[in-house]
Amino acid sequence: MMRRQPVSAYWVLSIIGLAVLTPMAGLLAVGRLPGFEPGDLQFWSSSYIRRVLLFSFWQAFLSTLISLTLALLVARSIAKRGDFPLRNLLLRLFGLPLVVPSIVAVMGIISVYGSAGWFPVGRSLYGLNGILIAHVFFNLPLAVRLLLPVWQAIPEHYDQLAEQLRFTAWQRWIHIEWPTLRENIPGVALLVFMLCLTSFAVVLTLGGGPRSSTLEVAIYQSLRFDFDPTQAVVLALLQLMLCLLIAVIGLSLQKLPEVEISISVNSQAGAASNRLYHNSVILVTAAFIGMPLLAMIFDALRGPVIDVLSDNKLWLAATYTLLIGFAAAFCSVLAGWLLLRTSSVLANHGKIRQAKWLELVGSVVYVVPPLILGTGYFVLLSQHVVIADWVFPIVILINSMMGLPFVIKVLSPVMRKNQMRYDNLCNSLALHGWNKWRRVDWPLLRKPLGLAAALVSALAMGDLGVIALFGSADTTTLPLMLYQQLGAYRIPQAAVTALFLLLLCLLVFWSLERGLGGRKDVTH
Amino acid sequence: MNFSHKLLTGTMLALLFAFPALAEKPLLTIYTYDSFTSDWGPGPKVKQAFEKQCNCTLELVGLEDGVSLLNRLKLEGKNTRADIVLGIDTNLTAEARETGLFEAHTLSIPESSLPQSWTDQIFVPYDFGYFAFVYNRELLKTPPSSLKDLVENPDGPSILIQDPRTSTPGLGLLLWVKKVYGENSDKAWNKLSERIVTVSKGWSEAYGLFLKGEADMVLSYTTSPAYHIIAEKDERFAAARFTEGHYQQIEVAGLLKSSNHKELSKQFLQFMLSQDFQNIIPQTNWMYPAFMESASLPDGFSNLIDPSPSLLFEDSIIASKRKSWVNEWLEAMTR
Repeated sequence: MMRRQPVSAYWVLSIIGLAVLTPMAGLLAVGRLPGFEPGDLQFWSSSYIRRVLLFSFWQAFLSTLISLTLALLVARSIAKRGDFPLRNLLLRLFGLPLVVPSIVAVMGIISVYGSAGWFPVGRSLYGLNGILIAHVFFNLPLAVRLLLPVWQAIPEHYDQLAEQLRFTAWQRWIHIEWPTLRENIPGVALLVFMLCLTSFAVVLTLGGGPRSSTLEVAIYQSLRFDFDPTQAVVLALLQLMLCLLIAVIGLSLQKLPEVEISISVNSQAGAASNRLYHNSVILVTAAFIGMPLLAMIFDALRGPVIDVLSDNKLWLAATYTLLIGFAAAFCSVLAGWLLLRTSSVLANHGKIRQAKWLELVGSVVYVVPPLILGTGYFVLLSQHVVIADWVFPIVILINSMMGLPFVIKVLSPVMRKNQMRYDNLCNSLALHGWNKWRRVDWPLLRKPLGLAAALVSALAMGDLGVIALFGSADTTTLPLMLYQQLGAYRIPQAAVTALFLLLLCLLVFWSLERGLGGRKDVTH
Repeated sequence: MNFSHKLLTGTMLALLFAFPALAEKPLLTIYTYDSFTSDWGPGPKVKQAFEKQCNCTLELVGLEDGVSLLNRLKLEGKNTRADIVLGIDTNLTAEARETGLFEAHTLSIPESSLPQSWTDQIFVPYDFGYFAFVYNRELLKTPPSSLKDLVENPDGPSILIQDPRTSTPGLGLLLWVKKVYGENSDKAWNKLSERIVTVSKGWSEAYGLFLKGEADMVLSYTTSPAYHIIAEKDERFAAARFTEGHYQQIEVAGLLKSSNHKELSKQFLQFMLSQDFQNIIPQTNWMYPAFMESASLPDGFSNLIDPSPSLLFEDSIIASKRKSWVNEWLEAMTR
């Protein structure tokens, strides 16, 4: 029996399409008004744009390559090592770099590798080195979080079989781990690539000069300093198209499993043989991620902790920040789930290409700069409403869209597997709707749902871009407050605010992963 | 009557009383930058002081910076909610004037503490400052004595600057170099680029890196050391005096044609010139107030360097040349 395909994905896609394209159209319309002369075409042939394009993609490619290679090693060690002390804390810490506002991360990295830091690298830090260190700091932990479930999903009897066949580590990798990973790596790589491609303040500051400008800088420049909406939109579309192209190439390497037979799950993979090696990999990674975070904590503890914490405005800002984080996580997870409900059915019916496209389009909206979207919404709405009343819905909308690729990446493998394994069974048991959700989907999905929600909320809580754009007297978020402190020489205060934001995020991560995800792994 | 009923009635009563009270007072809306409105900026004090004398409500809307202010105005045009825009600087006044949205202030401007006489019919200045390279006296014993000294000494100090494409001080330095080097600016930038540790997006990044010890000097303001002296009792920081003079930045406010509260707006501009407003500026905006005798400045300001002669381009020149100068800078820096 073949059930009707859920059409929800097309609704979600239409909404996303509208949410992305109408603000751009609005900006283009403004660009045609008198007084907004469209950019000189010379700009296009200029070596500047060519150089910026090349550099953007080159640094993003290198950052992705390094982050992912390292993440594979690290995730493997964490998976093989099984349980170890502070494992959960470590994995939760891995969610933090995502929330750290870029300027705070840069300061943390400087505290460690700067000329007065713990491990001074010297002037060579500024340039590609600095960019790569920062991007690996941001993305390695994310990639580990995304790849770890893949190892855990390698069936136990594969390991037993490998044991019996006396596979070497290399043979195991080739015959068991790589085929499983191949399905997931392109998606994770795309996500990391998009994050690095759109990185802006980090690239500019650690890049050492305008040689290290990304396309994002050019977009920012044309929309702000030159106030040339046409040029900004054209550059944003260029970024979107190029990213789409790369995604299509990348995802064509992805191989979705068409049959899935194994039901068991790997609960304990810890082969004791390589313990020392795995321990060292985990320790080195923990140190690499932990040191800049530790530096931030030291900076904060030297600051006026009591003063900052006793300020009511901080708590008000924290409330707004939490509100944005939770609301964006809810919207994003809901949209992602609806989209994937369709794509997993499609994939299950052999329409793999269609399924991939759905997920791809849902993901690449990430590279449309929030500055463009925000300004576009402003253009569309400001004639009709008091924009100050709309700051929250807009910020939440934009952040939910930015969170969508994370949701898709986390949920898609799980939802596809569930669809494959249980859909026919559920149909034959006449298990539908709420009952199916409660008995089948929820227990299997709650863990990835928790992770997805945690990631999106972290991303939204750390966001500065959109809220700073609208400007409003009484809605301050923690990142905005942090920047205001920095702008007013209050650097010690800002360090305390940064730590507060970090702890708040850790709390949210913990509560979402625990609350939604439950305590234990659910075995299939 | 249950609890929620009570709550509802209570709220309605409160609203009934609250609304007429709000409606009585006119609302004056000022667009400004958010370091003006933040707790540490002049905003809260200015609001309090002005509301005491105007019988109005002052609403300060904080946008990212001066550039965002101008862009917001361009987008909103005549439909803007703002009565006054406060926080545009002399790099932007020509472009702002061109929008045709501003109205002549018609105030008689008193003698200002600016080094030049103020003749602008549209914009009213409220504070000003000078760009300078700030350094730590304990770490850099002999700072350069001129811009040429900084640029041309290959063993000179390492510096942190901001990007003119994204930041006001960054653009300030670009204009400063242009004033001193003119046609040869690209060569100067090329020489200097060797010792530029990094070019940051905004002032905060560069200043933060400087305090972490990443370079000998950072591009900031002549008044920056005053913050460390007054607020942190820290005397280590100083600005290097350059003999060619320092590039100036004047911050202004302007009245919008579309305002429904013109009288009230003019009252605010008048207030802006008064000592009540001017006194707030030094220790919140860390700039020189435009209408205050130097003797009345707080202590930390008295030992600052003398930035004269002050350097400033006509705003119309900046408006017409900025793009090509920024491109020239890019070429020189990436060569």
